[in-house]
Amino acid sequence: MALTAWLPFVLYAAAAATYLVHFSTRDKKAGLAATALLAGGVLAHTFLIGMQTMEVGYAPLVGTTAAVSAFVWLLGLAYLYVELTTEERAMGAFVTVLLAVLSILPALDPAPDPRPELLRSPLFTVHVLSMLFAYASFALAFVLGITYVLLFKEIKAKHLGFFYTRLPSLQTLDIMNGRAVVVGWLFLTCGLIIGGVWAMQLHGSSSDSRVQAMGIGDPKILVALLSWVIYSFALFARRAIGWTGRRAAWLSAFAFVLILLNLVPVGYFLTRSHNF
Amino acid sequence: MRLFAVGISHRTAPVELRESVDFARRGLDAALTALSARHIAHEAVVVSTCNRAEIYASAESETVAEACGRFISEYNGVPWDAVAPHVMVYKGAAAVEHLFRVAAGLDSLVVGEPQILGQVKSAYAAATEVKTTGAITNRLFTAAFTVGKRVRTETHLGDGAVSVSYAAIALAKKIFRDLKGLNVLILGAGEMAKLTGVHLKAQAVRQLTISSRTLASAERLAQTLGGRAVPWSSLGEALTAADIVVTATGSAEPVLTRARIEEAMRPRRGRQLFIIDIAVPRDVEAGVGKLDQVFLYNIDDLRAIVQENLSRRASEIEHAESIVRQEVDKFRAWLQSREVLPTVIALRQRFDEIRLAELKRLESKLAPLGPEARERVDEITHLIVEKLLLTPTEQLKSTRDETLAVTYSDAVNRLFALQAPKPTDDSKEPS
Repeated sequence: MALTAWLPFVLYAAAAATYLVHFSTRDKKAGLAATALLAGGVLAHTFLIGMQTMEVGYAPLVGTTAAVSAFVWLLGLAYLYVELTTEERAMGAFVTVLLAVLSILPALDPAPDPRPELLRSPLFTVHVLSMLFAYASFALAFVLGITYVLLFKEIKAKHLGFFYTRLPSLQTLDIMNGRAVVVGWLFLTCGLIIGGVWAMQLHGSSSDSRVQAMGIGDPKILVALLSWVIYSFALFARRAIGWTGRRAAWLSAFAFVLILLNLVPVGYFLTRSHNF
Repeated sequence: MRLFAVGISHRTAPVELRESVDFARRGLDAALTALSARHIAHEAVVVSTCNRAEIYASAESETVAEACGRFISEYNGVPWDAVAPHVMVYKGAAAVEHLFRVAAGLDSLVVGEPQILGQVKSAYAAATEVKTTGAITNRLFTAAFTVGKRVRTETHLGDGAVSVSYAAIALAKKIFRDLKGLNVLILGAGEMAKLTGVHLKAQAVRQLTISSRTLASAERLAQTLGGRAVPWSSLGEALTAADIVVTATGSAEPVLTRARIEEAMRPRRGRQLFIIDIAVPRDVEAGVGKLDQVFLYNIDDLRAIVQENLSRRASEIEHAESIVRQEVDKFRAWLQSREVLPTVIALRQRFDEIRLAELKRLESKLAPLGPEARERVDEITHLIVEKLLLTPTEQLKSTRDETLAVTYSDAVNRLFALQAPKPTDDSKEPS
């Protein structure tokens, strides 16, 4: 079991290394190998999650570690989809590094947490998956934003070097960033609404301290709402006041840092409502 | 059979001579037909570009080199005396290497330019069309295409724009995805403005707008380029609508000041503007480049990019040369085995003849044996011959040194009194 639990991490790490090699050498074979390794990692991860589901009889989404694992899995899938549809591999180096680092957490603690009575509702699964998919989409927007800024700086400074030869055009990065934010925002909105409805249902029926903490005062919920406000602003600003390009890139990068903080440190240490 | 490469190129001949020696003018097929009518070579391919006119031929005799040179001069109506000093001749492996370097873009005026491979391909296609190719040139050109492809995919020899206009277009493509939907504004109506306009027109931009202090000259250029002219007074609107601005006026003072661009940027809502200033003295204030969402490149910046790309290409040359060397070695090995093949065949025939003759001579003695035993005798004698010949055959085929292979081949021919046929049969493709 322990070995199987480390397999996704090993493959993600190998994919990250190969994507970096591809990024620096622009070697086609390295690119194909990187995609294959990532696909292998996602497949192994799918297998692992599938096995855990069979073992415990429910989707292993309880607790922050499981959420991180599902996030990594969804991001891997989402990135692979983007790569295969756009034939653009340059983002892989950034995405897979994030995957490799985050996949250490579930590898260290692979056993799925027992599911408390509270979380038996199907709304729980929909809420978590929808939030995590939103986060995965925002992660892509973050990577696109960072690369946009790097390329922008090179062109502006008239120093056409590393990123200039490796990244797609500014406009492509900007359009993809915009799309990723839209998709992420839709899922985030859904996830928040479902979470809210479900929390209201629970408030009446459960005296669990965590349910009582489910309110705007809880850090996890507060930061999630805050990030919704920021992404909503990003959507509005792009369309209404022309915040495209560099401003949109910075905004999506900053907002994802918030998401990441919410997912890991807030999830592990600060929240009183989401510590299952 | 030997390979020859004979011709002139930008390395050996001045541009005036290259201009007058142009096989493509009357069509490559006409040139190839005229060449084959002279019966100089067994096989021939003519490569003709603005930087080279070369004949690749395979022939028995060394005289083919001069004959091809004279053909170049006579076919193009240029006196031999004018051509002769500039003709280069490569023989054997050197000819192979030359073609491979040409196909790889290593011999081009601008190292790594991609067009040459296509030109070599169409030269070969023309030659197959009029049937002047054969076993050797077929293999040679196929190998040359492999070299071209390998160099393109395995090295960065062709990376980066190496002319100012391509550098500008490559930059525009890194900012905007492609130029198709873009509005381009050209300031100035002189020769530079026209040249740039032609380049951009080729990129299928949506709208070319030309503005100049004198509306009449802007209108003239707009007509030539298929764009529209706007008066200098409505420059502000034109700037706001543009994605790319090219400035090439003769003005002594900057025509695009920071204040002017700032004003034009306001209603654009973050839409990026790429300004290319090719005028000397400059048309655009340096401060414009500091504005958010404005990318300003002047002629010196573009030249610097070109210079950098050229030196980057130079660092890839060694890698490309090593690919050429590998492929030349492979081709030589094939050519070698082809040279010694007739000897190998004759040697085997001779041995088999002896075997069959001996079997026949002993027929009366073998008669009492049953059919099965006689079959066995036949088999054993055949095997002995095969085993005896295995090592010498391998040695002959694997000799890398061209002269040594010929010496070996001659020696075998003499020692066994063979009469090896010359390898002229094109239908036979030895492995």
